[in-house]
Amino acid sequence: MAKVDVGKKILSENDRVAAKNRETFDDAGVLVLNFISSPGSGKTTLLETTLDRLPQDLRVLVIEGDVSTTRDLDRVKAHGATGVQINTGGGCHLSAKMVAEVLPELDVEHADIIFIENVGNLICPSTYDLGEDGKVVLLATTEGDDKPMKYPTIFYESRLAILNKIDLLPYLDYDVEKVQREVEVLNADCELLQVSARSGEGIDDWISWITTRLEEKRS
Amino acid sequence: MHELSICQSMLEIVDRTMAEHPGAKLLRIFLDVGKGSTIEPVLLSEAFDVITTDGPYEETKLVVNEIPLAGRCRSCGSTFEYQEVALGCPKCESVDIEITSGLELAIRELEIDENGAGDPPGGDAE
Repeated sequence: MAKVDVGKKILSENDRVAAKNRETFDDAGVLVLNFISSPGSGKTTLLETTLDRLPQDLRVLVIEGDVSTTRDLDRVKAHGATGVQINTGGGCHLSAKMVAEVLPELDVEHADIIFIENVGNLICPSTYDLGEDGKVVLLATTEGDDKPMKYPTIFYESRLAILNKIDLLPYLDYDVEKVQREVEVLNADCELLQVSARSGEGIDDWISWITTRLEEKRS
Repeated sequence: MHELSICQSMLEIVDRTMAEHPGAKLLRIFLDVGKGSTIEPVLLSEAFDVITTDGPYEETKLVVNEIPLAGRCRSCGSTFEYQEVALGCPKCESVDIEITSGLELAIRELEIDENGAGDPPGGDAE
């Protein structure tokens, strides 16, 4: 009987590919944000609003991850985005390799921002580095105000949390302050923005968050 | 349920390591799994059993070392382990906390039998 030292992260191969993706993104000076949330929190609607509200001279690409269909890609294309759909066929998250495989289909060289819409799931995608500049976790007021503590890992890993559907707050028992505090406890570096992708409330803050990150990336 | 894809990634590393020990039999895989890693050890074991059925690792056991979620308070400098996800620093109640461990997901070591546990001479049974 013998012991063999391995000392290797299980996702080291994913991390290696993610590092290559990151190099490609950094060389092109493109800001890459990875959107993670439960199904139905409004990722695609937020993307649509974002595409409409970002300065028109910015070139935006979208990578859509879903188990099946190109529905989300069709929606963002209608708002002027160029993009590509990844169907995971049952897989609950995107991996760095899946992203690497679609990059040749995209004009990354000439892009300013890439939005990756991950498969709707608060758990599995948090473990996979795709080479992005930051993970953005989306919550919706309709999901209930207990989510940060129930799904802590995604908050440890995220650079920004967005609370969507705040236009519905008057009709719901939703404690925004509690969510704010939970996010802060889990990750003091993770800001919480409150928006309504539908009414446009709070979207200015979100757009300026993105453009500030883009300036940082280029400096 | 990403435990299956985690298992696949794990077995790729195991395969490469075992290739350096031809003829050896893999007895146990020792893993470090952080409590905050989103990996459920029971599901990981189940996924491992499914994926290794009828293969060279059919009798291999997974041994999971669970690493507690621990943090450090940036305000008062105290360090602590979370029993559950806690609301702030237990000492000064500050929320300015950084996670110091508990997000691990790694293969620490393999236990092998270099004599291959009675494989017929000539090896390749398949």
